Amino acid sequence: MATVASKLYSDDVSLLVLLLDTNPLFWSNRSTTFSQFLSHVLAFLNAVLGLNQLNRVVVIATGYCSCDYIYDSSLTLSGNSESGRTGMPALFGSLLEKLEDFIDKDEELIKEQEHDERIASSLLSGSLSMALCYIQRIFRSGHLHPQPRILCLQGSPDGPEQYVAVMNSIFSAQRLMVPIDSCYIGTQNSAFLQQASYITGGVHHAPKQLDGLFQFLTTIFATDLHTRSFVQLPKPVGVDFRASCFCHKKTIDMGYVCSVCLSIFCEHHKKCSTCGSVFGQSKLDGASTVSDKKRKAPDS
Amino acid sequence: MPQVKIIAKNFMDMVASLTAIKLDKLYNNVFICEAILRSLPPLAKKYVLQLLFIDDPVPCTRIEEWVLPDGLSKHRVAIDRLIQLRIFTETVDRREGTCFSLNPTFQNNLQKHIISGGVLPREPMNSSNGIKLPSLQELETYALQQWECFLLQLINSGQGEKLTGISSSMMKVFQRGLLSQRDRDGPRLTESGFQFLLMDTNAQLWYIIREYISNAEERDVDPADLISFLLELSFHVTGEAYNLNTLTDVQRTTLKDLADLGLVKLQQGRKDSWFIPTKLATNLSVSLADSSVRKEGYVMMETNFRMYAYSTSKLQCEILRLFARIEYQLPNLIACAVTKESLYNAFDNGITSDQIITFLQQNSHPRCADRVPSIPENVTDQIRLWESDLKRIEMTQAHFYDEFPSKDVFEGACNFARQWGGLLWEDSKRMRLVVKSEVHNQMREYLHTQGN
Repeated sequence: MATVASKLYSDDVSLLVLLLDTNPLFWSNRSTTFSQFLSHVLAFLNAVLGLNQLNRVVVIATGYCSCDYIYDSSLTLSGNSESGRTGMPALFGSLLEKLEDFIDKDEELIKEQEHDERIASSLLSGSLSMALCYIQRIFRSGHLHPQPRILCLQGSPDGPEQYVAVMNSIFSAQRLMVPIDSCYIGTQNSAFLQQASYITGGVHHAPKQLDGLFQFLTTIFATDLHTRSFVQLPKPVGVDFRASCFCHKKTIDMGYVCSVCLSIFCEHHKKCSTCGSVFGQSKLDGASTVSDKKRKAPDS
Repeated sequence: MPQVKIIAKNFMDMVASLTAIKLDKLYNNVFICEAILRSLPPLAKKYVLQLLFIDDPVPCTRIEEWVLPDGLSKHRVAIDRLIQLRIFTETVDRREGTCFSLNPTFQNNLQKHIISGGVLPREPMNSSNGIKLPSLQELETYALQQWECFLLQLINSGQGEKLTGISSSMMKVFQRGLLSQRDRDGPRLTESGFQFLLMDTNAQLWYIIREYISNAEERDVDPADLISFLLELSFHVTGEAYNLNTLTDVQRTTLKDLADLGLVKLQQGRKDSWFIPTKLATNLSVSLADSSVRKEGYVMMETNFRMYAYSTSKLQCEILRLFARIEYQLPNLIACAVTKESLYNAFDNGITSDQIITFLQQNSHPRCADRVPSIPENVTDQIRLWESDLKRIEMTQAHFYDEFPSKDVFEGACNFARQWGGLLWEDSKRMRLVVKSEVHNQMREYLHTQGN
């Protein structure tokens, strides 16, 4: 990564990719409305853009079954002549417009899909991949680029069926040395986000109440990577490392792991469904106990 | 950015040195608050943001808890800067000790800015009524041309025709410190003048702007007004036209000077006239902080000490001539060689090897910049070696003593000189020693007392 590092700005210039959870199933039964939440987020975006003229912000909306770019500060700066006149500041005008379009489209998609057994999770894996694609493009273009980081503002619960995709995104982010910060505003705990921040060296925080969200966001997540090395930030109190099995997409504490490709299964199979290796008949098969099942540490 | 002596005086120091009343007046302008925020050290930015919506004073000890122990020095720098710029006001509470709160005007303006988003300082003119705006490309070439023109005039003053509209008295102000008037051979670039040429455009621009501001009082212009106008200018949109009617008279005259520097382009229509800010102007507040916008490089350095520069600019040719021998020039290419003689010439003029190397690194052609290292190692090593060659001999003024009456006196003198740290050489067999000139007086007194 030596070439990447040499192309960075010297100071605290950052590129923030914000993944915004717009899942209607989550927002419909919350005390804080989506618009209240959005006003905190927009103020936060303004603050980030205000800190440095070269700072860039990209917002990706994460819906129930789709995700899309809804704002890119580098694009609107050059062509905001029309939206600037509507009375609404340029930043919000285009963002809100696109957000509305996106939510409408997402709603139609929800109606098309009619299997109700899925948990009300958002398409986190999709938006993470989009964020990484965008960052990859920044890395490859131009001779100087800002320091990228990803911030997930997630409220809906994890979707175990996305486990493999999310983990793959996390590991690519780790390879690119892009920290994934996560702010979990839902009621349960998100194992995905905890792991994402833990593995990539980002910050994970779950504010107890949303009234002062702006203060949380600016205090913790507006800190650029350069400053993080000498500032107190919340430390992880324990990370939920539980995995989902590949066969039924269930979150499990204990399971079987393929010794060749490390795929995880919740029950014994004759053959690995991922790499095809044939599992030998265990000698202890008759007396199989918990002890010879591979244990995934639930909490360490 | 190369470490240059003349850059030492930061622009923000200039703002900080304004009187309290003027500074408070400056904060009435939202854009200044924003520009000042951007110029702060990263940690100070964080403090401001964190305290933005807190109305009560916050104890200093609590702020200190936000940083890790090894960040304490940075914390102090940040706090000092904030107090200097009067963003933080200090109050002493009996229970909590020193407390800080944000300057209320500053806080208010910044809150508004963050909640409602960036607004433009003034409305651009409607493009419909007969204004033909130059494209961004054209505007950029115009700006660079104008700037180069200015620089060329700056370095070879006297000779050459008058290229820009800047008055000669103004030019003299800019040249102060960069050029020295020697007796016969006309003006010559000084050490800092050479360093100035090797800086990147933004740093150069700020140097000039600083001179311009510090000279403001002589022209009956309030420096605070000038600073606020320049900062405001940096928030305009590049390539949009703004009506001159919206400006005050002082701003209009300032704008004429800025047009000569390439910061804005002035245009005149049938009824009114307008100005179009160029990239140089909108980048003004960027270069307040250390991170500078670099442009694409053009220099390729080869291991055989030949250097190819893809450039048509006369100025860049002049800059390369500072340390290299120009061999030939093609329409878009300057071929030169870095030789011992050309470098000795540069060192003579006060340019250091580090400056040359950073200049080469910063301006290396994109194809070369991808390589690690971007400048061949043998070349950088050789440049450094040639510089250290020149420093092989060090001259020290000294006095020579001999014919000591006895060994004791000689050894006493040696010890005395050693104590004063002035002994350079001794020969105990023939009783001779050499002592630094600074110690000569004390030495003489000592020997007198010994003689008696």
